[in-house]
Amino acid sequence: MHIKTQAKLALVVDDSMTQCMMLSALLKEEGYQVVVANDGACGVDKYVEHQPDLVLMDINMPVMDGYEATRRIKKVSRENLAPLIFITSMDTDQAYIDSVEAGGDGILVRPFSPQVFKAKIKSIQRISDLYQQVKNLQQEQQKDAELAKIMMSDVIESRNFALNKVGVIKQAATMFSGDMQLTALCPNGDLHVLLGDFTGHGLRASIGAIPVTETFRAMTKKGFSILDIVAQINKQLCDLLPKDLFFAACFIAISEHDKSAYIFNAGLPDGYLFSEDAEIKHHFPSVHPPLGILPKLISDAKLTVVSVGSSDRFVLITDGIIEARNEQGHEYGVAQFEYAAKKGVLINDIANNVVASLEIFCQNMPQEDDISLVDVPCSAWQEDNSADQTNQPHIPETFIVEDIFYDASPSWSWRLELTDNLLASVNPVPIIMNQINEIEGAGEHWQSLYTIITELFINALDHGVLGMDSSLKDSAEGFSYYFKERTKRLEQLKSGFIRIELCYFPFEYGGKMFISIKDSGLGFDIFNVLKSNSCAQSEGINLSGRGVELVNQLCDTLDYQDNGSLVSASYVWHNTKQYRVSKGIH
Amino acid sequence: MSVNCNISQENNQVIISVNARFDFSLHQHFRDAYSQCVDQNINYVLDLSHTDYMDSSALGMILLLKDHVDLHASKLVISKPSDTVNKILEIAQFHRLMTIEH
Repeated sequence: MHIKTQAKLALVVDDSMTQCMMLSALLKEEGYQVVVANDGACGVDKYVEHQPDLVLMDINMPVMDGYEATRRIKKVSRENLAPLIFITSMDTDQAYIDSVEAGGDGILVRPFSPQVFKAKIKSIQRISDLYQQVKNLQQEQQKDAELAKIMMSDVIESRNFALNKVGVIKQAATMFSGDMQLTALCPNGDLHVLLGDFTGHGLRASIGAIPVTETFRAMTKKGFSILDIVAQINKQLCDLLPKDLFFAACFIAISEHDKSAYIFNAGLPDGYLFSEDAEIKHHFPSVHPPLGILPKLISDAKLTVVSVGSSDRFVLITDGIIEARNEQGHEYGVAQFEYAAKKGVLINDIANNVVASLEIFCQNMPQEDDISLVDVPCSAWQEDNSADQTNQPHIPETFIVEDIFYDASPSWSWRLELTDNLLASVNPVPIIMNQINEIEGAGEHWQSLYTIITELFINALDHGVLGMDSSLKDSAEGFSYYFKERTKRLEQLKSGFIRIELCYFPFEYGGKMFISIKDSGLGFDIFNVLKSNSCAQSEGINLSGRGVELVNQLCDTLDYQDNGSLVSASYVWHNTKQYRVSKGIH
Repeated sequence: MSVNCNISQENNQVIISVNARFDFSLHQHFRDAYSQCVDQNINYVLDLSHTDYMDSSALGMILLLKDHVDLHASKLVISKPSDTVNKILEIAQFHRLMTIEH
């Protein structure tokens, strides 16, 4: 291959030695190196060999004339634009037309002054430089687009949780999609799902994807509620994105053990909850403008809460599905989508059934917008990890004697008191988990602690401070009434407090956390709750009080005092693996 | 031209109407329709009664118009959106952000 040096290279094809010498001299004055060929065929060979930056071509030559040589040169140099100028004494219209037809970029008729020749070379070189620039830009853009595509699909979406359990359609209208699908697991085992659609499509539409992903994952991991996450993503996008770019998105938080889900739809078409037998149990229409428009969420923004069965499925879509058009210009529409989705539920493959139905409808029409769907089951995302889960370290299998001696005084303690309207606006659980992670480092064993603290705090707030009756949640109607009433009471909350204290005792192979939560409420009959739970649970009908039940299982000790307004719990974890290794047990 | 702009001096009104498809291809025309109006206290009316299709970039353009209107202490009303368009405005919950007259 020819390696281009600093000086540009010109190829002169002319059968006249005098012409060659004259042109070479002029070109050298302009800083070109020159290669010479004396007939058309030889010119083509030299072109292939030297890959020049400029070609000067005579028309009438032996062996092969200038037109034929030009056609061959243009054929082999499709990628490179080396401008080609005909030099001729044939001053006819036909010569001009033929030279352009053959692929020439210009013609220069003899006789000409050296100044005219040099001007011609300069102008043609300018065009060729522009072409090169455009080509470089195009290549750079292509590279950027490929990088963005890799970032989007490999980095962002492959890190999603429970990928194999969530059905997905993702068809980009251009090289990559402005739609994004995220799933992440909360510390308490809940699943957070996001389906979002940035304005437009292509690279412009996907610039917001990385901050959204980071925020969604980080906040979910730290235990923030879904509404906190929505508010934060909204604020972030409002700061980051230009005015006319925004993010229509729907968020779901599904709790398998609570059999409930929270939904927030900001600007996407209706979301759906399907039962196992393909009945639409709920529609979730958009309740808020897309994110990134308003600096803060609208003040009455709230989540929709529904109770879900373990074989129910959520389905979210972007507008690309409903607005897909066929050749006659008709929209696919909601009705056809719902029909295809229902059939999909029955054969347990919503995504593929919808895709097939869309394809039949649209025939060969090119796709105008990104098309996305997620299909999320309401349970059993963790099946794959169930082997690890059953053997959680929080309940020690054997009592380790030397731990007793580490039980003397706490290595640290920490206390937080929330009062009055802060109770409605601050979620202390992420703050607490952050403290623990800061001091003791991150670890799988904090998952259970997270659940314990969350449940105890919510009990203190709901049944203590707000005085809610948990038996309300026993029926599906009561369940939604409960959440409405709770929101109302929270808004009206004027006084009250919740005090949370933690004491940590390190063991040689693990540790013990004391948690005490005191609230300002009148107390509630915890035994009644527990008792009615265990009765109801054996019949498999109740929706309430699972929290206490669960905490009871996770805790080492659990103790209610002051008529239920003070709860103390202790959570012990052993790093069994480390212990076994150091004791030589296998 | 599918963006029409009607400026009436008497009642301080600027009526912008978009015909047929309201999408990204109208970006420049749509901006041109209002960007020269820098007076205050203008009543802007965005007439969507003849718009039969609107995509999300059109929503973005409406937000830019809203920004312009707010900047010049004026008012914006979206007027008579067709059914298809209204469905899109509804999904985006734009009635929370601006006045929509049916």
